Amino acid sequence: MLRPLPNSQWGFASAAHLLNRAGFGGHPKEIHRLAALGLESAVDQLVHYDRHPDLTPAPEWTKPDSDRAKELRQFRDATPEERKELQKVRRRTEREQMTELRHWWLNRMVSSPHPLQEKLTLFWHGHFATSVQKVKDAYLMWKQNDLFRRQGAGEWLALLTEVAKDPAMLVWLDQGQSRKENPNENFAREVMELFTLGEGHYTERDVTEAARAFTGWAYERNDQSFVVRPRWHDSGTKTILGQSGNWAGDDVLKLVVSQPTAPAFITNRLWHFFVGNSPSDELGKALATEFIRHKQEIRPWLRTVFLSEEFYSTTVMRQQVKSPVFWVVNSARVLQRELPPAEATNNLLRLMGQELFAPPNVKGWDGGLAWITTNNLLTRYNSAEYLVSGENPLNYAANRSKKGPNQPRRLPLAGAVRLDSWLEEEDWVDPEHLLRTLEIRLFQTPLREKQRANVREYLASRTPLDTTDILHAIRLLMSTPDFQLT
Amino acid sequence: MNNSLSLKTRREFLQGSLLAGSLSWTIPAFLSRTITTLHADPAAATMGRNILVLVQLAGGNDGLNTVVPFTNDHYYKARPNLGIRAPQVLKLNDEVGLHPALTGLKDLHASGQLAVWQGVGYPNPNRSHFRSTEIWQTASASEINEKHGWLGRYFDHACAGAEPTVGVSVGRQSPQSFAGPKPLGVSLEQPETYRFADTDPAQGNMASGESFYRHLNRPDMLDSGGEQNTGGTVGAVAGAFATQQSPLDFLERTALDAQVSSDRIRALNKSSLNRVPYPVSALSNQLKLVARLIGGGLPTRVFYVSQGGYDTHTNQSGSHDRLLGELGSAIKAFNEDIKAQGNLDRVMLMTFSEFGRRVKQNANGGTDHGAAAPLFMVGSKLRQGVHGMAPDLAPDNLKNGDLKFTTDFRSLYAGVIEQWLGAESKSILKWSGPAARIT
Repeated sequence: MLRPLPNSQWGFASAAHLLNRAGFGGHPKEIHRLAALGLESAVDQLVHYDRHPDLTPAPEWTKPDSDRAKELRQFRDATPEERKELQKVRRRTEREQMTELRHWWLNRMVSSPHPLQEKLTLFWHGHFATSVQKVKDAYLMWKQNDLFRRQGAGEWLALLTEVAKDPAMLVWLDQGQSRKENPNENFAREVMELFTLGEGHYTERDVTEAARAFTGWAYERNDQSFVVRPRWHDSGTKTILGQSGNWAGDDVLKLVVSQPTAPAFITNRLWHFFVGNSPSDELGKALATEFIRHKQEIRPWLRTVFLSEEFYSTTVMRQQVKSPVFWVVNSARVLQRELPPAEATNNLLRLMGQELFAPPNVKGWDGGLAWITTNNLLTRYNSAEYLVSGENPLNYAANRSKKGPNQPRRLPLAGAVRLDSWLEEEDWVDPEHLLRTLEIRLFQTPLREKQRANVREYLASRTPLDTTDILHAIRLLMSTPDFQLT
Repeated sequence: MNNSLSLKTRREFLQGSLLAGSLSWTIPAFLSRTITTLHADPAAATMGRNILVLVQLAGGNDGLNTVVPFTNDHYYKARPNLGIRAPQVLKLNDEVGLHPALTGLKDLHASGQLAVWQGVGYPNPNRSHFRSTEIWQTASASEINEKHGWLGRYFDHACAGAEPTVGVSVGRQSPQSFAGPKPLGVSLEQPETYRFADTDPAQGNMASGESFYRHLNRPDMLDSGGEQNTGGTVGAVAGAFATQQSPLDFLERTALDAQVSSDRIRALNKSSLNRVPYPVSALSNQLKLVARLIGGGLPTRVFYVSQGGYDTHTNQSGSHDRLLGELGSAIKAFNEDIKAQGNLDRVMLMTFSEFGRRVKQNANGGTDHGAAAPLFMVGSKLRQGVHGMAPDLAPDNLKNGDLKFTTDFRSLYAGVIEQWLGAESKSILKWSGPAARIT
């Protein structure tokens, strides 16, 4: 059983922690506001986001392509040269739309009235790790993203079922073209291995049999939608996870989710994402029990977690490595600045190892300590300069193209942090005051004494301080091991 | 401290800011050794030492279409469309030959530098990309979950006191095979960006922003009390960093490794050039950088590069042709480059992939996850030719449609560790089988 956090332990630090984990953090005033609500109301405000609508409009092109059937026909009838040209045009459109989509989502993370909704969307994106590199259709990527946003706090089986019929997923794991004569195992395998049960909780036979059951779930390219094709479906008897029957796709998902180990699998994943470590066996059991008690619905389960003492433990607070997306979004929030232009922001994320809609593989991002390599740490430190001053400190961005390294790629100017919008008067004249302002804003907690001494010395050497000096100091504070944790 | 803050070169950094005020026993061993050899030729430290370059083919390379059994009817029966016709195959002997796109490797075969190991795999093969990759990276048995990588354990056992660059992974990620109880090894994507870019240079008496960065990224333990010790040698003990690391410990260690390796790599990258032209591909760029780092004398025993895209479930032939073409031509250029440097005899390259693919082609013009597959080793000092037994393709002798392995990959790892890296393999691999003879 999870123990509720005593009210006496609620305050600025715990409110900051809640906002960091259930959302993307915030500046001190936002944290004070949340703290003033009291624990339960603060959690409810974050968790019950469905009570107030978020009216952010979707990008204008996010609807099925009404000419798709004609385009496909045109493509089929084209000469090889014409095809090349058509492909080029399509790829360009896709690239532009993806850039827009990524920025649209990141901006929602920065300024959404429902931070938890965006955080959950990010969780499911990592869990069902679908990449545009194979799907190659921005509309489908948006549609899946929208599904996560709509259903992300809902009932587990309902969400899973909708994901299984999601066009991007059908393309991503080849389900869309699986027929009874030759079932494709890709989706059937990953649904058990990565989405619901984990390795070791099913057999190879379960995979082949489930693949038979899923046949007939297909993707209709002409209108970019899910379709059931009865003639592709294998209607014979299958034995899956010990149960025999004339199973179809929906049955497999029900069977899988009703396995005794299934609740613990998904609650462990959620715990890991929101809390940052793996639960002990005992806690893991409690989390699964709690999930069952809430009829496998994500929202009330998360509420219990956010109210629990375990969530606010000293082994949890400020012990999670920031993901690159969190790092960028959180930095924009605490510095109260806009995100850099779309392509530049995406470039930063790619260099730090987390390009949205392009996870490295079906398993998603490993996360945790795996975010941190010598390379990525230096990338973070240099990205800090860009976010703070708006200028890229390196004339090179690492190469994505095959044309070779050293392709100079100047990031556009992004504008500096506007210190006048949040620094207080004393900060300009009293370095001690400034130090406290900065550490609370960036770390929500005092720095280690050694670090403070270093920064103090830096500020002393620059007195009288001007804007540039303070911006440099912020960049230095972000270029520390400590700033990589939340 | 003000004094040390104005110091900028690596040497001054090490002496001024790491040693001053530090307790000798808290300094990572590589630093103490570095101090003593600071003025030595950087190549001297690695002179004559063998280097392993590992090439990961991620996604599960189709072994049967890489090393083709062109006289085998079962092969053509299982692959009516995907099978590569005998006349196109680049023949290695009377039974097997290379995929036609692998002309680069065929040339290396002709110059006696190619070893092909057939039927490489392990018992109870796993068809999950992730689990099987983990098995290859950790050299564990199929049923055992091993956290640390086989190279991480090699660094730990055999490279105590080495600089963090003892293992270099080209890219943003660190491979699981480098994971160890005391992490060693760095990852870098591109030397030009592998640094803290200072925008706040020193002026007059004012120390640069970079010097503050260096201080802020110095682990606490290097600061904790003690008398000044600026002497040349400090009897450092390896492993001052805790085994059970907190995230902050890990970050501090990585930050220090980044600092030290960045200084080193940028210094030698300027002076070391590629001596041959390379083809244009992502893998080629990675090997190009490895060649420069070897030429510049970076103290490294293992380099790690990777090529993705081998998960060819649909329409395999076009993409597989391209991948193998890039693989062969990049390896060939690399081989010529290190030859021109005079390092040919001390560099070997080995490929690996998490699994081969199903013998029978699937309905989408592709192949599904399989088991055993061949791997390549390239080097002038290796035992060249086609080794190991080709797996039996007769349908009755397959297991779930997959090839049965004939060579355990751990016997090859053991061969590499013992005969190439000169370490004892048993305790590193925790595997008692015999080592394959690779040299």
